[in-house]
Amino acid sequence: MSHEIVRTSETAPPPPKEYPIDEVVFNPPIDIFETAEGLVLQADLPGVATDSLELQIQDNKLSLFGKVSLSVPSEARLIHQEYQVGHFLRSFILSDEVDHERISAKLNQGVLEVVLPRLSKPEPRRIQIQID
Amino acid sequence: MPVFRWGHTWDPFRDLEREVDQLLAKVSLFHGIRFGRQYPPINVYELDNEFLLTAELPGTRPEDLEVLISGGVLTIKGKRLGPEGISDDRFRRQERPRGVWQRSLTLPDHIQDEKLAAEFTNGVLCIRLPKARAVAPRQIPVTNGNPG
Repeated sequence: MSHEIVRTSETAPPPPKEYPIDEVVFNPPIDIFETAEGLVLQADLPGVATDSLELQIQDNKLSLFGKVSLSVPSEARLIHQEYQVGHFLRSFILSDEVDHERISAKLNQGVLEVVLPRLSKPEPRRIQIQID
Repeated sequence: MPVFRWGHTWDPFRDLEREVDQLLAKVSLFHGIRFGRQYPPINVYELDNEFLLTAELPGTRPEDLEVLISGGVLTIKGKRLGPEGISDDRFRRQERPRGVWQRSLTLPDHIQDEKLAAEFTNGVLCIRLPKARAVAPRQIPVTNGNPG
């Protein structure tokens, strides 16, 4: 199907070995919407700072790993809990329609935005017919 | 059995997926129908001299966030809207909650209301509630109310 540019993986793969995970890891919620230029992916990563976010493209797989640092001092005692704090990991399969070279990303107030531009179609080329 | 389509072409699976996503988004948001709890979820931490209240509100603009205190009740309210100029039918996937929310909490008595402070970093709201110094119990004299 031509509109299947980004496919989200059904289950999060186990975190790569090099990350020292000692807390919980979540699959962050995402939005994907179309624009005139391509697709935009937004992911909620509360508590992740720019320097603790890793965004990787390998072959056609885009993975994000956001490491959360606690927003309270370590000596603070948790006395009431309604949510768990954890790192974020999720990966996506990009189709060939995405121009991998022009992918850009920014992180603002805990939201990662990845812009996935569509590959521009080459202009039709006129082929000269030679007469022998 | 062949399936005939007439009129404009459409993609039922894509539409269905979108419908389900939107339905889930509607019920799972701030009404607490799906999870049966209030939004946003809040954690409370205690330090020797203060309480810390945290909530994850990624993508909320600080100007859309309000923290109020009145009569021992702390109210936080805010909103998170979708991207401007993008209609719902342009969404391939919609999992992030959006909308308008409000939550109120009754604070313990020994909080210094006037020293309450809030900061919003990396999409996490942290409200500091300084504890009041312990007040020595005051003896209230009981007088004899009988006349004469």
